Amino acid sequence: MERSSSLQRLRAALFASRLDGLITVVLLAALLAGGQALLHWLVFKAQWAVIQANSTLFAIGRYPLDQQWRLWLLSVLLAAATGVSWGWLRAFPRPDRRARLWPANDRLAAAVLAGLALLLPLFLELSAVISQRWWGITALLLACRWWAGRLGPALPAAFRRGWPVIWPLLYLLGMTLIAGGLGLPVVSPSRWGGLLLTLIEASFAILLCFPLGVLLALGRRSRLPLLRWLSVLYIEFIRGAPLITLLFLGQNILGLLLPGGFSPDRVWRAAWVLTFFAAAYVAEAVRSGLVALPPGQMEAARALGLPVHQAMLKVVLPQALRVALPAMVGQFINLLQDTTLLSLIGLFELLGTARAVMANPAFLGKDAEVYLVLAVLFWCCCAALGLGSRALETRLNSNPQPA
Amino acid sequence: MTDRDLMIEARGVEKWYPNGYHALRGVDLNVYRGEVVVIMGPSGSGKSTFIRTFNALEDIQGGSIVVDGMTLSDDVRNIDAIRREVGMVFQQFNLFPHLTVLENLCLAPVLVRKRKKVEVEQEALALLERVNIREQAHKYPGQLSGGQQQRVAIARSLCMEPRVMLFDEPTSALDPEMVQEVLEVMQELAREGMTMVVVTHEVRFARQVASRVVLMAEGEVVEMAPPEQFFTAPQHERTRQFLSQIA
Repeated sequence: MERSSSLQRLRAALFASRLDGLITVVLLAALLAGGQALLHWLVFKAQWAVIQANSTLFAIGRYPLDQQWRLWLLSVLLAAATGVSWGWLRAFPRPDRRARLWPANDRLAAAVLAGLALLLPLFLELSAVISQRWWGITALLLACRWWAGRLGPALPAAFRRGWPVIWPLLYLLGMTLIAGGLGLPVVSPSRWGGLLLTLIEASFAILLCFPLGVLLALGRRSRLPLLRWLSVLYIEFIRGAPLITLLFLGQNILGLLLPGGFSPDRVWRAAWVLTFFAAAYVAEAVRSGLVALPPGQMEAARALGLPVHQAMLKVVLPQALRVALPAMVGQFINLLQDTTLLSLIGLFELLGTARAVMANPAFLGKDAEVYLVLAVLFWCCCAALGLGSRALETRLNSNPQPA
Repeated sequence: MTDRDLMIEARGVEKWYPNGYHALRGVDLNVYRGEVVVIMGPSGSGKSTFIRTFNALEDIQGGSIVVDGMTLSDDVRNIDAIRREVGMVFQQFNLFPHLTVLENLCLAPVLVRKRKKVEVEQEALALLERVNIREQAHKYPGQLSGGQQQRVAIARSLCMEPRVMLFDEPTSALDPEMVQEVLEVMQELAREGMTMVVVTHEVRFARQVASRVVLMAEGEVVEMAPPEQFFTAPQHERTRQFLSQIA
């Protein structure tokens, strides 16, 4: 009974009319042909030695061997923090909201993570020591998730509320661990590479372009003419110029523009250009959020005696940013992908590393394998950003259907 | 009445909109402590604009406004000081949709009056009790009906302990069956001695609650009288015409 009904549904969906049936058959045939070819290539033709031999290069570039313990330490800290946050978010869906942050298949997510962590080192043919480290880090993450979910309610609420502060602190600590300073030997940015460099550039630009974009959006709507004109000029200039030209420009003139002969390293110059570039787009996203807000909100806040800055901070921006969130995350995802342009100004982020590897005579003709891995890596990062933003949207949604 | 009892004193208020429209043409009005003044008039007569000048939501180009002894000026600090003492209820409620009902009430007292959150919350719950809506304290405005939202908006204003309350067509955006519950809350407020200026089309409310009724037309005060006289024996032709239109 059950089976025949689902069969009927499938038939209704795919073969409702003759034309539908024809389209279904053609598409299935194409899918089969393409899928079979891809599968054949993946299993029999593709040679993953190019990835296996260069996995460290793809991950962290030419980071000095004797300093790599710092990255391992950072991975351990990140895994622990992620696990605790995950567990707590799971244990405390906001009781006043019907929409939950984590869907019921959150266990599935944990299982997928565990499976990937188990298989990936085998696929990459990492050495036993390194494989065990990865397994250990994953186990730590899952243990923290379990522990925070189980023990979380027993801890004082203040501790839980204060926990998110760990993330900015961890970011600063991570940057120090990577770059050196505070007693650690300095590792020059020219030694950073691969996924590490991509993530550093993208996260730096994402974190800084957000406040900058908000300020620009407010400036564009300011009553002070000079501030407004400058904001408009900046936003329109940046949006009118291709990123690649700005990157080349930044390498040449950023050192001249910044005060006191302060000339950051090439890596940081690129990061600043990315930041300034994305800020203009974030500003437009935020502005759309501000425009969408009824003027009555500001009026009500002011009528209650709130000064402008508090009305902005407590009433206008929380609502405007929520409206702007999807557009902003789209911008962040673009930003992550735009980091590949840095390979054109000679930085060895993921694409730069890939090009260097493919130029090695030992790995000639292995472009397909390399690009496929790159695409999958970027897809994973962007999917994570997208999932996170959707979860955030659900959590921030204060207009649930009347219960 | 002595000057000590004068809550709002508007003298020759002039308002031009940036497009050149002359919205208020030398309007005078005195509101005394404990009074309920109802302002009526056709749309476009400037009545909403007029009460919005009392807390400087609209700036004025001529005349003077004194609220509770403070003369309204362009100074931001002066404006904020007056806004703390003047509560306002809007046609569109203007509740903050991202905050719960209780958070809506507590926001201004905590931020502006610098009061302790725990104390304010107790008072806020008592106020919600007064407007018969305590059980909704932890819901979001979007989950409430229009009448409930407007009662929350009244409670939110009261939470700042204002000396005078302004109502800008508080029932115009409501479904007919919800008008009464809001008017009852306002009536209760008037009985407790709150000074109120109300822009409304509700004749019954004006008859029962108002100390004085004002008719505004084309940016001027046409008639001002106690409700009995206003509705039964108006002095001006314009008033008779208006009353015949809304009857």
